[in-house]
Amino acid sequence: MQQLLNGLFIGSIYALFAVGFALVFGILDRLNLAHPAVFAASAFIGIELVTVGGLPFWAALPAVAVVGALLGLIVERVAFRPLKGRADAHFAGLISSIAVAGMLIALLQWRYGAETRRFPADTFPATRFDVLGAQVTLLQVVIVAVCVTLVVGLTWLVARSRLGRGMRAVAENPTAARVLGVDVDRVTATTFAISAALGAVAGALFAMNVNSAQLGMGSAIELKGLAVIVVGGMGSLPGALVGGLLLGVAEVFAVQYLGSAWRDLIAFALLFGILLLRPQGLFGGRRARQV
Amino acid sequence: MFTESTVTFIALGAIFAFSFYAVLNAGQLSLGQAGFASVAAYTSVLLAPDPDVVGDLPALLAALVIGTTAGTVAAVVLGLPTMHLRGVFLAIATLGFAEAVRIFLLNAEWTGGAQGMTVPKVVTPAIAWAVLAVVAYWFWRSAPTRYGRALEAIREDELAAGAMGIDVGRHRLGAFATAGAVAGLYGVLWAYTVRLVGPADFGFTAAIDGLVTAMVGGTTVFIGPVVGSTFLTMIPEIQRALGVEAGWIRPFVAGLLLLVVILFLPGGLAGRIPRRLRVPELDGADGEGGAVGARERAPRGDVVARLTGLSKDYGGVHAVRDVDLEIHSGELLGLIGPNGAGKTTLVNMISGLVAPSSGEARVLGVAAGRTPVHRVAAAGVSRTFQHSKLFGRLSALENVLVGGHLVTRPTLVRRLLWLPSARRDERAALTHAARCLDRVGMLDAASTRANALSYGDQRRLEIARALAADPSLLILDEPAAGMNQVEAGELARLIRSLADDGLAVLLIEHNVGLVRQVCDRVVVLDFGEIIASGAPSAVAADPRVVEAYLGTEA
Amino acid sequence: MTQPALEVEHLSVRYGRVEAVRDVSFSVAEGSLVTLVGANGAGKSTIINAVSGIVRPHGGRVRFRGTDITRTPAHKLVARGLVQVPEGRQILATLTVAENLAMGGWHRGRAAARAIDEMYQRFGVLGERRDLPAGTLSGGEQQMLAIARALVAEPVLLLLDEPSMGLAPLVVNEVFDVVAQIREAGTTVVLVEQNARRALRAADHGYVLRTGEVVRSGPAAELLADDDVVQAYLGTA
Repeated sequence: MQQLLNGLFIGSIYALFAVGFALVFGILDRLNLAHPAVFAASAFIGIELVTVGGLPFWAALPAVAVVGALLGLIVERVAFRPLKGRADAHFAGLISSIAVAGMLIALLQWRYGAETRRFPADTFPATRFDVLGAQVTLLQVVIVAVCVTLVVGLTWLVARSRLGRGMRAVAENPTAARVLGVDVDRVTATTFAISAALGAVAGALFAMNVNSAQLGMGSAIELKGLAVIVVGGMGSLPGALVGGLLLGVAEVFAVQYLGSAWRDLIAFALLFGILLLRPQGLFGGRRARQV
Repeated sequence: MFTESTVTFIALGAIFAFSFYAVLNAGQLSLGQAGFASVAAYTSVLLAPDPDVVGDLPALLAALVIGTTAGTVAAVVLGLPTMHLRGVFLAIATLGFAEAVRIFLLNAEWTGGAQGMTVPKVVTPAIAWAVLAVVAYWFWRSAPTRYGRALEAIREDELAAGAMGIDVGRHRLGAFATAGAVAGLYGVLWAYTVRLVGPADFGFTAAIDGLVTAMVGGTTVFIGPVVGSTFLTMIPEIQRALGVEAGWIRPFVAGLLLLVVILFLPGGLAGRIPRRLRVPELDGADGEGGAVGARERAPRGDVVARLTGLSKDYGGVHAVRDVDLEIHSGELLGLIGPNGAGKTTLVNMISGLVAPSSGEARVLGVAAGRTPVHRVAAAGVSRTFQHSKLFGRLSALENVLVGGHLVTRPTLVRRLLWLPSARRDERAALTHAARCLDRVGMLDAASTRANALSYGDQRRLEIARALAADPSLLILDEPAAGMNQVEAGELARLIRSLADDGLAVLLIEHNVGLVRQVCDRVVVLDFGEIIASGAPSAVAADPRVVEAYLGTEA
Repeated sequence: MTQPALEVEHLSVRYGRVEAVRDVSFSVAEGSLVTLVGANGAGKSTIINAVSGIVRPHGGRVRFRGTDITRTPAHKLVARGLVQVPEGRQILATLTVAENLAMGGWHRGRAAARAIDEMYQRFGVLGERRDLPAGTLSGGEQQMLAIARALVAEPVLLLLDEPSMGLAPLVVNEVFDVVAQIREAGTTVVLVEQNARRALRAADHGYVLRTGEVVRSGPAAELLADDDVVQAYLGTA
């Protein structure tokens, strides 16, 4: 039971991170490899907001989301918009987003140095509960609640709101969307901003959870995020949520039964297995747009 | 500043860049090179004999062989499931692989964890540069071969490459295996240079460095990677000389450089250098033309394609409905019909690009649409596309050379060994391509890049490329679109002469005048069904055809 | 004389090196129905896309109710009432019928809800299928949806690009009936068609295009009686 809860709880962070990948891929058919860098940057910025800015944790979280959204806008502007209309935009977008990721991490190194940063010890009360005989901290409860609320909220936004309708229209047929009066550039930028904001919150929560932020934390979770979207079916938001939780649980049990060296290989095993057996993912239907 | 170790590192960086270039050249992005390198390094350190026992050079050679093998095997295993998927899946799988390997090495006990394993230093600058020379030799010699051109064609247009008979999946896997092998070399050399294999050396930064170096240099063999590698290797040295302590500058500059190159110089620096390929003289005598195997063609009047009950639905919309049709060799068959009548869907099924919903297209002995595209092409189907699908960054002559993929011999291995027969075969292929270009009247434009040609020339080049495969069935999808009267007239004569040579030609055209002028038989498609078929004059007078084109009288 | 709804002067459009439209001029009087006819590849759709801001003209000028809109992006034009029903319908197949109609009202906020209800009344089949993915509709129903979707945007000027393409003759009749109704309701219409006879019969004025140029123009009735128009299609024998 304890293991299952631990798995669900780390999995919810994976899901929140991966949903940002999935949103951009599902709507715009682009893989944004700068997403992990935004994740790392937000962790450092969140720590700075709390330690230097003196913000309480609950106020730092929305602030981090805003910073993340801004980073997302920059990524879109610098790495993706200039490629619009180019025949090799798919391929070039992967490379340009990697380039931006590298620059972002370099800038983090410049500002924060290479050492590990931590939230102050009293950022969050260390309250504990007993749930069905398992130990759960208040922080864990908050993390699961925030992650699930955001993912469900995003799914609702895409399925029901005007903006979501516009996003889906752009996803299916950008030309038709333009004809109908949708400002495709704006919808695209908004999609990136939302995606990055979620990744940013995930980054801050992750850093809070393990109480450390490192330059390499983005590339460490990148593998998991990619595994989650491959399992969930690339552009599927519910798929990302289920995939994230699944991965979290699988990792926890792998540690228990196989040993901790195997923990991080679970993600790759899932990724590779799905590519081999069911490339459209567990939840992916057909994709509206093909190559 | 240029110490022994920096000189070695420049060579190593350039080798690593080649392993990225190997896949980039085929139009894919792999980010797993660091993973292959570390797999190779650890495997060879574990398995290779001790230099103190067998001597430095034999030990290193053994390690290089082990490492190259390990890198190749890892690449093939990783590549197999992704080669037939979209490019993004290869990027994901490789990125995941690299990270998984790094984390595994960090956590496993036998690898020494974060400390890594110590290795004797064996590599000297001379050895590093010698290996670089071997790698560069491979890319230099393989580029102008049938194999090398096929990779470039896949990069430019996967679909068209398949339609020219190139097995896209197999060629990609080949390129990827090459990347694994070269990355393996790098990993082993790195280990025996820095005296240590540790997971930290094969992380994200290493991947960016390799990618930058490969991208900046682009396709210029040797010079590009060496320049790029020198630059990146020297940044910290220069910083040290200036007394600037800032570890972030180098990765930042690398990222910025990569961004600038991909946004503004997609072909790398080499993209700026015009491609030169000697255009052979065509002076009648064809002493060397024999090496290009002319394929056997069905005798005139034989059925080359038989469509029975062929249908295609797209989500409830019947694009093509129950079409029965035979195409004979030596026949010039026109396919006309209003916009949206299903003509392109029909020819996509005949050429094997689209699988029918029901019915069968039996084309030259294969079931088109149920066999891979390149097999349909190998059976003797060649085509042009409604929207030009040329290999844009290749010259006109190179486009036609790729078109001749099926009728020319592989020259890669023989070119690596400098066998004279390779040179002969290459020259024969060139002559064959030049002849096809000449046939459409475009020999003068042989060295022009395809995407710099005028629209009419692009259409003609597509025909030359399709002809180079020496097909039995040639499908032309609106070849006269965008041509003026004079050009269209010349084209009509050319098409007619092809059918007179014994080819079966299927001509889709909107210019009804052109169709009436040259075709032996015309088939009219409307709402996906054949509404009329027969001699051109009879079909044009058919009231149903007039109605389909101009609308009802009532 | 009142100001024309649309004036196109010396329009030219290039795709790379290809000049798809060459020096085309025409004007559309407020409340009239003008048709552009011509064979495939004549440049009709390109003209429509240049007018509605989807492609950038290489030269020339487009004025909508006296305002220069040559470089105005598509989404701003829709908000001003210049609405296009694109070639091939371009319905959003994975969105429901209701969502497609709602997309038509992208710029209209709450006012769109009433217009959408009107469309359900007018096109009964859309009302019945409002919660189904639009991709499940038949070709004719999809065309009606595309038109209804454009009407939700309350067009002042409606550009219809090949509305009869790929439709059975009976359905084509329905489409032309709807076009006539739209015009009677006071909306200015530009109709692009391959189905020349039908289009000219419905129109006040016509322009015949061939390889990117206007080769004939005049009152629709005159063009209809002219043999040259037929030749522009089937080619000279």
